[in-house]
Amino acid sequence: MLENYLPVLMQMLMAAGFAGVTLLASVLAGKSAKRNKMKDSAYECGMLPLGEAQPRFSVKFYIVAMLFVLFDIEVVFMYPWAVIFKDYVAVFGAAIFWWMLSFVGILLVAFLYAWRKKALDWSS
Amino acid sequence: MVTLNHYLLVSGLLFSIGLVGVVVRRNILTIYMCLEMMLSAANLTLVAFSRFRLVEGLPDYNAQALVFFTITVAAAEVAVGLAIIVALFRARQSVDITAVEKLKG
Amino acid sequence: MSPLSLELGLGLLGLVLLLVESFASVPRKLIAYAAIGGLLAALAVIVSGAAGSVPDSLKEFYVVDPLALFYKGFAIIATLATIILSLEYAPIIHQFVATHPERTKEAGLGEFYSLPLFVCVGMMVMASAVDLITIFVALELVTVSFYVLVAFMRRSAASLEAGVKYLILGALSTGLLVYGMSWLYGMTGELSLSGVAYKLAHWEGNSAPILFAVGLMLAGLAFKVGAVPFHIWIPDVYQGAPTPVTAFLSVGSKAAGFVVLTRIVGTFLTPGSVVAGPVIQILLILGGATILLGNLAAIAQTNFKRLLGYSSIAHAGYLLVALACIHTGGLKMTSGEVAAFYLATYLPMTFVCFLILSAMRAKGYGEDIASLKGLGRANPTLGLALAIALASLAGLPLTAGFMGKFFVIFATVLEGYYTYLAIAVIGAATGFFYYFKVILAVYSKPDGPSEGPTPDLGLLSKVSLAVFVAAILVVGVYPDLIRFALVK
Repeated sequence: MLENYLPVLMQMLMAAGFAGVTLLASVLAGKSAKRNKMKDSAYECGMLPLGEAQPRFSVKFYIVAMLFVLFDIEVVFMYPWAVIFKDYVAVFGAAIFWWMLSFVGILLVAFLYAWRKKALDWSS
Repeated sequence: MVTLNHYLLVSGLLFSIGLVGVVVRRNILTIYMCLEMMLSAANLTLVAFSRFRLVEGLPDYNAQALVFFTITVAAAEVAVGLAIIVALFRARQSVDITAVEKLKG
Repeated sequence: MSPLSLELGLGLLGLVLLLVESFASVPRKLIAYAAIGGLLAALAVIVSGAAGSVPDSLKEFYVVDPLALFYKGFAIIATLATIILSLEYAPIIHQFVATHPERTKEAGLGEFYSLPLFVCVGMMVMASAVDLITIFVALELVTVSFYVLVAFMRRSAASLEAGVKYLILGALSTGLLVYGMSWLYGMTGELSLSGVAYKLAHWEGNSAPILFAVGLMLAGLAFKVGAVPFHIWIPDVYQGAPTPVTAFLSVGSKAAGFVVLTRIVGTFLTPGSVVAGPVIQILLILGGATILLGNLAAIAQTNFKRLLGYSSIAHAGYLLVALACIHTGGLKMTSGEVAAFYLATYLPMTFVCFLILSAMRAKGYGEDIASLKGLGRANPTLGLALAIALASLAGLPLTAGFMGKFFVIFATVLEGYYTYLAIAVIGAATGFFYYFKVILAVYSKPDGPSEGPTPDLGLLSKVSLAVFVAAILVVGVYPDLIRFALVK
């Protein structure tokens, strides 16, 4: 009975581990030790008011939105795959895993391309 | 009781609104939204038909597979479309349909 | 070896080439050569007959019949010709894509050479698709890639405008098609074409919803192939798009539309189908109107690309009429095969025209018919090739174009559609008028006092030009060359 909850426990451990590792990595790799004026100021709600009330959005937002839509929507294929995974892994074995991984590989190519073309580079 | 006909009516309305919008609207972004609405109408029709066609007590999921593909294709179309519209805006400073009337004859 | 692995291989090649484009700083020509190499290998597999069959579990989605193999080969040849044409057109692409054309050398060319591969994959899958989902996904792969290609020259107002128009009307046709598909599914409960055909043949009750679905789907596909009254985008998009893309659109996209149309119309016209009568009527009326309007509107054109656009509309009309003639036993071909034959003759003549147009454009000439003046004297080889291609487009006997039209007209006679026979003949006669106007321009004196630079082609383009002209002439006297490939 209790071992049915093992996957849940594993997922919780993985989630906690991922969050911990990310936080740790940002402390180690980032420049969190450096102090500056902004960091030392008292935190208040929201941003300091800057610029006009109705600014025209930079075209960069569109690019990020487009990339988000593209990568986000692919989950639609992973969800049904995950639902039938257990039934089909008995029939096809590990192959069903590699099929989805090849699909993710195509997404990876798209991601690498977007990265190299500086689509993710906010400052350029 | 909501029946199949109700769903079909709503999806038909959605489709018609989209089609009319494509024809009468002048802002390209609005036209694009109307086009997406037409695809959503098709999706709603598919899901409704699938829900009301029971195979061994379960909905017929084949049509819902088509819905997934339609959603993805619509997303790809949006991405490419927005990119083209943004490029057009950079060139013409306008997204009005009258900005694309140079080619004729 | 499964034919599906050809599509997978070419798709993979496209992805690898995109990565090469973004990571490596190799000369962009190498990307084009890699694409050409991959396509030639795929063509060799198909021609040699090594492309086997698919497992039975896939038969409901994906078939490998002679028609599918034929269209796969067709897609590969069209893509090959497009990439060769792009090599010719590269300086102009670069000029209109690069932010600082004088500082960079080859900006944007890598994508321009690799995107046609994805179009090719889409067309190859479509050739085999016999399931609404597969058809839809393949068709959209082609269409979305074409959106990018048409609007590729982002610093050219004309290219962007063509892109927006193609985008809106393409998305509209997708909407119509999917909505039609959803109703077809709702009425029959089937997504595979064989299942739909069975249900249509055994239909009892009200056929109005089915007709609604069929009409929407036919309207969506009529957009894709450019049939009247859904043709309005064609002239503008053809004129504004980069020339290699225009050529690819007029051959590849059209063939893609027609292979889907062949499969879907074949389903609708299955023996005993409830919608057979109306579908034939729709096809004939669309086809007749398309022939007339395409040919009549072409007469007034002064821009050569636009003229070819209207000519492509007119050719779509003949193809639609061919699809409606289902009793073609006298020709030993099915209606789908008559259309495939017509498309196969249409490919070489169109590409010859666009190759020469690219060569002129690269040397700074305009795209008007008037700027062709003096070509016959400046470069007699190119002039002669263009004249042959135009004569074939018009349907002069002893050229491939004549055989294509001959089969269509013969099919209308076999069916007894004498009205459409008359329309086809009137259309062909009008065609002679405007195509020969262009030939006349090629062989007349240039307007200016001094002659401009001589247009010329690279080696690859010369080879393909020679192959295409030879194909036009050989098929003109020996049509069985293509017929054997079709009717194995």
